[in-house]
Amino acid sequence: MAFEAMFEPIQIGSQTIRNRVVSTAHAEVYATDGGMTTDRYVKYYEEKAKGGCGLCICGGSSVVSIDSPQAWWSSVNLSTDRIIPHFQNLADAVHKHGGKIMIQITHMGRRSRWDGFNWSTLLSPSGIREPVHRSTCKTIEEEEIWRIIGDFAQAARRAKEGGLDGVELSAVHQHLVDQFWSPRVNKRTDQWGGSFENRMRFGMEVLKAVREEVGDDFVVGMRITGDEFHPDGLDHEEMKRIAAYYDATGKVDFFGVVGSGCDTHNTLANVIPNMSYPPEPFLHLAAGIKTVVNVPVIHAQNIKDPNQASRILEAGHVDLVGMTRAHIADPHLITKIKMGQTDQIRQCVGANYCIDRQYQGLDVLCIQNGATSREYMGLPHIIEKTKGPLRKVVVVGGGPGGMEAARVSAERGHDVTLFEAKDQIGGQITTASRAPGRDQMAGITRWYQLELDRLGVDVRLNTPADEATIKDLRPDIVMLATGGTPHVTQVPDWGFDPDPEKSLVVSSWDILDGKVEPSKNVLVFDTICEFSGVSVADYMADKGSKVEIVTDDIKPGAAVGGTTFPTYYRTLYEKEVIMTSDLALHKVYREGPALVAVLENEYTGEMEERVVDQIVVENGVKPNEELYYALKSQSRNKGQIDLEALYAIEPQPSLSESGEGFLLFRIGDCTAPRNTHAAIYDALRLCKDF
Amino acid sequence: MLDILMPLLLAAALVLAVVGAFRRIAMWRRGRPSPVNIMKGLTSIPKRYLVDLHHVVERDKYIAHTHVATAGGFVASMVLAIIVHGFDLASGILGWLLLLFTAIMFVGSVLVYRRRINPPARLSKGPFQRLPKSLIAFSVGMFLTTLPAVGLMPENAGSWVFALVLVVLVAWGVSELVFGMTWGGPMKHAFAGALHLGFHRRQERFGGGRSTGLKPLNLDDESSPLGVIKPEEFTWNQRLGFDACVQCGRCEAVCPAFAAGQPLNPKKLIQDMVASMTTGTDANYAGSNYPGQTGTHEVGPGGVLVAREGKALVDADTLWSCTTCRACVEECPMMIEHVDAVVDIRRHLTLEHGETPGKGADVLNNLIATDNPGGFSPNSRMNWATDLELPMLKDRDHAEVLLWLGDGVFDMRNQRTLRALIKVLRAGNVDFAVLGNDERDSGDLARRLGDEATFQSLAKRNIATLAKHSFDCIVTCDPHSFHVLKNEYGDFGGHYEVYHHSGYLNLLIDSGRVSLNKADVGTVTYHDPCYLGRYNGEYDAPRSVLKALGLEVNEMARSGYRSRCCGGGGGAPVVDVPGKQRIPDMRMEDIRETGAEIVAVGCPQCTAMLEGVVEPRPDVKDIAELVADALSDTPAPRSHADNKEPVEVVA
Repeated sequence: MAFEAMFEPIQIGSQTIRNRVVSTAHAEVYATDGGMTTDRYVKYYEEKAKGGCGLCICGGSSVVSIDSPQAWWSSVNLSTDRIIPHFQNLADAVHKHGGKIMIQITHMGRRSRWDGFNWSTLLSPSGIREPVHRSTCKTIEEEEIWRIIGDFAQAARRAKEGGLDGVELSAVHQHLVDQFWSPRVNKRTDQWGGSFENRMRFGMEVLKAVREEVGDDFVVGMRITGDEFHPDGLDHEEMKRIAAYYDATGKVDFFGVVGSGCDTHNTLANVIPNMSYPPEPFLHLAAGIKTVVNVPVIHAQNIKDPNQASRILEAGHVDLVGMTRAHIADPHLITKIKMGQTDQIRQCVGANYCIDRQYQGLDVLCIQNGATSREYMGLPHIIEKTKGPLRKVVVVGGGPGGMEAARVSAERGHDVTLFEAKDQIGGQITTASRAPGRDQMAGITRWYQLELDRLGVDVRLNTPADEATIKDLRPDIVMLATGGTPHVTQVPDWGFDPDPEKSLVVSSWDILDGKVEPSKNVLVFDTICEFSGVSVADYMADKGSKVEIVTDDIKPGAAVGGTTFPTYYRTLYEKEVIMTSDLALHKVYREGPALVAVLENEYTGEMEERVVDQIVVENGVKPNEELYYALKSQSRNKGQIDLEALYAIEPQPSLSESGEGFLLFRIGDCTAPRNTHAAIYDALRLCKDF
Repeated sequence: MLDILMPLLLAAALVLAVVGAFRRIAMWRRGRPSPVNIMKGLTSIPKRYLVDLHHVVERDKYIAHTHVATAGGFVASMVLAIIVHGFDLASGILGWLLLLFTAIMFVGSVLVYRRRINPPARLSKGPFQRLPKSLIAFSVGMFLTTLPAVGLMPENAGSWVFALVLVVLVAWGVSELVFGMTWGGPMKHAFAGALHLGFHRRQERFGGGRSTGLKPLNLDDESSPLGVIKPEEFTWNQRLGFDACVQCGRCEAVCPAFAAGQPLNPKKLIQDMVASMTTGTDANYAGSNYPGQTGTHEVGPGGVLVAREGKALVDADTLWSCTTCRACVEECPMMIEHVDAVVDIRRHLTLEHGETPGKGADVLNNLIATDNPGGFSPNSRMNWATDLELPMLKDRDHAEVLLWLGDGVFDMRNQRTLRALIKVLRAGNVDFAVLGNDERDSGDLARRLGDEATFQSLAKRNIATLAKHSFDCIVTCDPHSFHVLKNEYGDFGGHYEVYHHSGYLNLLIDSGRVSLNKADVGTVTYHDPCYLGRYNGEYDAPRSVLKALGLEVNEMARSGYRSRCCGGGGGAPVVDVPGKQRIPDMRMEDIRETGAEIVAVGCPQCTAMLEGVVEPRPDVKDIAELVADALSDTPAPRSHADNKEPVEVVA
């Protein structure tokens, strides 16, 4: 039996878990009803349980106290009995499918924001400011300490009364428990700070109170770091000592171990390793903790595929693997392994769209799976075959929107032809994947390639479709996903010309796609500030160019998410890329063999110049609209999407109307430049009813 | 002249036949003893001939009618000829009757002759091509000889040449048909075949019975060989059975290994057994060979059938190609037990020499060490079902149903079938429990691979476990476990009421304990598992379940007792003898011919083999899965104790 190690049950405290795969605690940002586990929340976890996940630990950073703000991230609020019936719904939904569900509970101490909702005064052992949230806090008082210990116990009671299988005490990510642990932030001299035992005291009192409240037939675990990676923080040996100290009480049923501290931008990036990290980069830390404790150890960080999970488990490094983002990308991961369909698993690529949204207080979504967390709306992970008429669907453009449209239409049972002008599908994903450390983006395309093959979609590469080729196929539905082209013509003074010999600037695509060789001395002007600009700068620096990246925004890569801009910065600084903000590219002119970039200060209007060999412009995408307007008047629906139906996840009314001619829909960047998720989501919600 | 020669001729033929018969019987008796009631056996022959044997023969109407005319005509003619010509009692109706029967025999003989003009590949040639001529010679000769006896021709009519011709014709006829029976010509089948019916080693087969379990080896008897390597190590009635073979090749035509180009031809195998008792060489064999084999083969040094080094009469691969599907046995009009012979020799190879090829030795080692063929930890047997929280029989005083899970618990595909079955049992409020980690492999695989010792060890321990518990019946979704529990544990004291899940599901549906919606799965065909169908005669229950789902079964040309094996039985996938094509591919072709979108199956082995066929192909669904998917939400009346809600997991 393949993957045998993953499917060995394990006992955690009073609970038997059916396999070794855990969806570990993350903030979902779905508990929008004042911190209650809403229908969306329940369905999100039910899907994982239905898909075979052994244990779900939900509710990353679910709060136990009223002064640990939850609304910023719509996290679960365990400070009130109102949560109990909501937990019952959640527990029933997961148990129904044989899964187990626990919740992470915490007080976040200083690691939050105070400037909203109850305008809480944040608390911390020694009142030291937290940089990531720019949050100041007060020094916690003895009375507050005991109140919060009591709050932990009550929160655990609520979880138990709600029918959940356990709680995980968060002592990681610089929450209040590990704020007490870490000498970096605990400077107290009373019984709550100083010596090892004193620093351990708060967590120990929490553990004792919780265990006393819930008894032995309820799981209580702890999530801890394996090493804070701060010279003045908790190192691995100290963490082993801490883990052993708590384990010796016999009151902890499991440890979850995370590598890295979390209270700076740079360490935060380690916690949820993006695609630039190697597989399971911090496994050794969890394995180290396992050597000193007697209960199961869970580890999650960049464990994405069943071979990797099996290898880790077979080697005995840890007892359970967290495959959390892997489940966000594909909640049916386990089922597909069991069905022998490992090739059909939509594998997480580490784009971190999920977590980067969460850090902005937005609901967690998957860059490549439009159905995840939208189960409650009726968006399906398994597309059923249509019982209605079988149609001829022509998809134009093989980028993310086109690939998803072709996949979903084919799953519905339709006859699908996909035209792609290039020699491979993927669209802008292919371009994005060319940058250093971004190659895993191509994993999105890889899955679509396998699925389109499996579904027998007629993929016509190197075939730019025009009006005639499309109409030749006598389509019932035409999906336009023709994307766009780099918008380098917006400012005429940039001197772009379609003839590369004459053009003064090149697009970031031409560089990344390898059409234009990087020159020695380069200026990258990036007004978009997302992945593309820093990617092209990194790519060129990697090839040996001396690069300055200039933006008129507040900093280069400003719109890259919180877990990914640090990894760009690490590599850009290492390659001595100069990062300049607040300057706009005003004009380019040629001077002898060199190019001169005239840059205008956003705030003073002062001009300055750079003499370089090559100027790369990243100004986003201009939609390719020609084909749409050529077909629009001939289509039955005049290219219009019924938005009420679209947003309500209902079939387009035009599908059930009869008439001559084809239906025409356009999605993705050929409408307006948005992102991969937007294109895939639109394709899914439109095509699922074809 | 004729009236002198004819009686002499007949008398000589009869004497020679008797002498031959004693020699033949002595030859058979060189085998090991097998207790048979001689008188009872002899008296049972006519009925077994007319009922059991004819039941098989009549599947081919042409040859059935031909055989009735020819054989019936000959037997009657011969008896009458002895009276009319031997004792010169031609008076009255007897002569006319003799004429009539020789005429009938003539018609039959001509039909045989026509059959032999362009015979199908499965028929052996050689002396069998001569047989219709001998039949015609006898019938014509005897007819003409009898004409004067009834006065249709003057006595001594014609010349002495004519008389001589008649004598030669009759002499030719009686040589072939009378003493040829006992001296080894094509007509040997009549003599050996008749006695084989009486002295068959599986007396239970006759009169509508069924006997498919392998006979146990007495491992405590140090004098009895462990299986067979020399022809004398077969029991005498097995040897008699081999000798009954008429080389009709029906076995060859249905053998999946033969069709796949693996080196097995059941007819050749039986003929090799005959050769081993007589000439010791296959030089005279005139039928299709084992695929891929050429040249002559002889009994090896020391009289062995299979050589451990070099060549003997039979290659070991021939024996390992058998899937034990019993298609040959089912088709054999002479009731020969090919599979017993195959397993007997396998027993020797495995038990005496440990020469189970391919992965066979590993699998047997696994079974010995872990009680399962995959070598999984015996304590991991229930890993797949943690979330189902199955009731354990050891925690219960009694259960209505003991659900025998089988080694499919270690296979993710079969786990889906088991989950489906459990969902249905729970929907029907069936009071069931499982043995959990106390269950062991049933022993089927070990036994078919010839490891009787491991089989008996598993069987005895399973029986001891079962004896500790109280249950009404056993239900299993594995036809191999089903067969072993039902038919082979009895020899070791284990007697149970055992259901294949299709049979039990059928009961649940019939009694209204589960209610079903119509299954909306498209067109369906059904593949009969060998160990459910031919081994246990269960063809109706699965079809009845499919009918209850509103499905009409597009039957394959090879279905029911003629179902073609998936290739997964008898340890064949484990030893994995190469051929020209794979058996499951051929079976999938049978399935495709029906145009079905789904093939319903009832066996983990069949599922694995058929799902191993490359896509695109029809989907393979176990009966339990189809039923589980069609369960109606309307709850059936609650009557039993298991209160667990059905756990719904995609897989």
